[in-house]
Amino acid sequence: MGSISKIHELLTTKQISCTELTKSYLNEIEKSNGELNAYVNVTGEQALATAEKVDKKIAGGEEIGMLEGVPMTLKDNISTKGVETTCCSKILTGYKPIYNASVWDTLNNQNAVMLGKTNMDEFAMGSSCETSYFGGAANPFNINHVAGGSSGGGASAVGANLAAFALGSDTGGSIRQPASFCGIVGLKPTYGAVSRYGLIAYASSLDQIGPITKSVEDASLVFDAISKYDDKDSTSKGYSGNTYSTLNNDIKGMKIGIAREYLEGIRDDVKESILKAAEIYKSLGAEIVYFDLPALKFALPVYYIIACAEASSNLGRYDGIRFGYKTEHYNGTHDMICRTRSEGFGEEVKRRILLGTYVLSAGYYDAYYKKAQNLRGTIVKAFNDAFEKVDVILAPTVPMTAFEKGHAVTDPIETYLTDICTVPVNIAGLPGVSVPCGFNAKGMPIGMQLIGKSFGEAQILNAAYKYQQAANENFKDTDWGVKL
Amino acid sequence: MVTREDVENIALLSKLFVPEEELDGLTKSMQEIIDFADTINNAQVTDEGFDSISGLSNVFREDEVIESYSSEEILSNAPEQAENHFLVRNRE
Repeated sequence: MGSISKIHELLTTKQISCTELTKSYLNEIEKSNGELNAYVNVTGEQALATAEKVDKKIAGGEEIGMLEGVPMTLKDNISTKGVETTCCSKILTGYKPIYNASVWDTLNNQNAVMLGKTNMDEFAMGSSCETSYFGGAANPFNINHVAGGSSGGGASAVGANLAAFALGSDTGGSIRQPASFCGIVGLKPTYGAVSRYGLIAYASSLDQIGPITKSVEDASLVFDAISKYDDKDSTSKGYSGNTYSTLNNDIKGMKIGIAREYLEGIRDDVKESILKAAEIYKSLGAEIVYFDLPALKFALPVYYIIACAEASSNLGRYDGIRFGYKTEHYNGTHDMICRTRSEGFGEEVKRRILLGTYVLSAGYYDAYYKKAQNLRGTIVKAFNDAFEKVDVILAPTVPMTAFEKGHAVTDPIETYLTDICTVPVNIAGLPGVSVPCGFNAKGMPIGMQLIGKSFGEAQILNAAYKYQQAANENFKDTDWGVKL
Repeated sequence: MVTREDVENIALLSKLFVPEEELDGLTKSMQEIIDFADTINNAQVTDEGFDSISGLSNVFREDEVIESYSSEEILSNAPEQAENHFLVRNRE
């Protein structure tokens, strides 16, 4: 049983009150957050107020929804009315949105209990959570290792049982990679399936909100709750139907593809785990189909060109005039804006703004941005062709396991390479879910990724759930936090 | 080839100051990233661009008047404001 169903049962059978449950989460956060740095803002008062509301409903004999009273957390780039939302950047310190992100409106209306806002790489730019203005989040399996990024705080919190689930955002792997590093489940939905209204933009043609959870059932329940059409997001499509009712469908005859390119250049222990998962799928009656996806070799440079180009435009709004940080001493408006931005943004953010401005500038636009957009079309087409032959693609989530703290900041290119298996999904707008599939010799979790066709969430979650049932030993709990 | 002048020029366009002592390091790391980005120029590109293949289309709706935020709310995050306006002033 997943954490959400378990909590629902505990609440409805009155084995615990929502207030007691919320307090025990808040106590554990108080105890462990110093070491993990998963939360950058704890909203205890608000959480307890919601819990009280839920308790009243239960006491009054009212039925409660599945997510009602479930303690959870939001990444710090998801807008929360009246609650500081900083993207873990100095430039947004003190910023309190005047509206909620649509996903939070949805969950808040269902009385989900928000415990706080979680840590992330500054503006979601990074793969280790270490570009955060508040310092990185630690991995619950070994606190000397990173939790991954950019949604590192959410993955750390869920992995350490300091929240039942988290919402993160995924632009190039920022949900799936930290989920993989922390031995949990992370779902990046199809572009358009979940509203992004109120998600502070990094790269708008790639960004997508999704759940980080302990189990596949939980990911499915949260996805079903948040995947609604939203007229406030012009790219919203919503998701018709649900994923939960088909989780346990037989996967006999399902064609699971392995693109050979995904297995190149990854660590041996990761490769071994992926091949072992393929064997498990065979034993469940699925058919494993090997194929080639040569377009993948351009995915990473295409991603960095497009993401940085969009970031340089999106981050133009931070000017020290309307919100956030403003420099103290300046001489004229231009000087004020430049000083504010130079003091407010961290090193990686500045690097990506400069890179994005470079590839969009006259003389370079055709060679980089336009070329990347064309190649993006080639990658989309390659995936479309692949899904003519297979139902789901199985791949590693990350070529390695969680690295030690401090490792990522030394070499930008090497850090970018960790995203090699996750970015293709964003480029093509597809859904992908990361699921734990083993451990390396040091006990650090390994993750595998199931990639589906556009709006194929039901299929990948079905495949993920069957795997979870067959290989439950890979879904290992940590000693931290609240034990349900 | 990314030059120091390129970086200075891009920084100006991006409204960022790059301190003199960081300029060489940044030029070098930009060059490395651009070299990496250059690998796409070895690719065979089909005529179909992303826009024609993505299947994405704009979403339109009727332009209806709805209630919005008060200027008080909009200004609530401004570092400086005066007389119901954002304050942008020249300070020596």
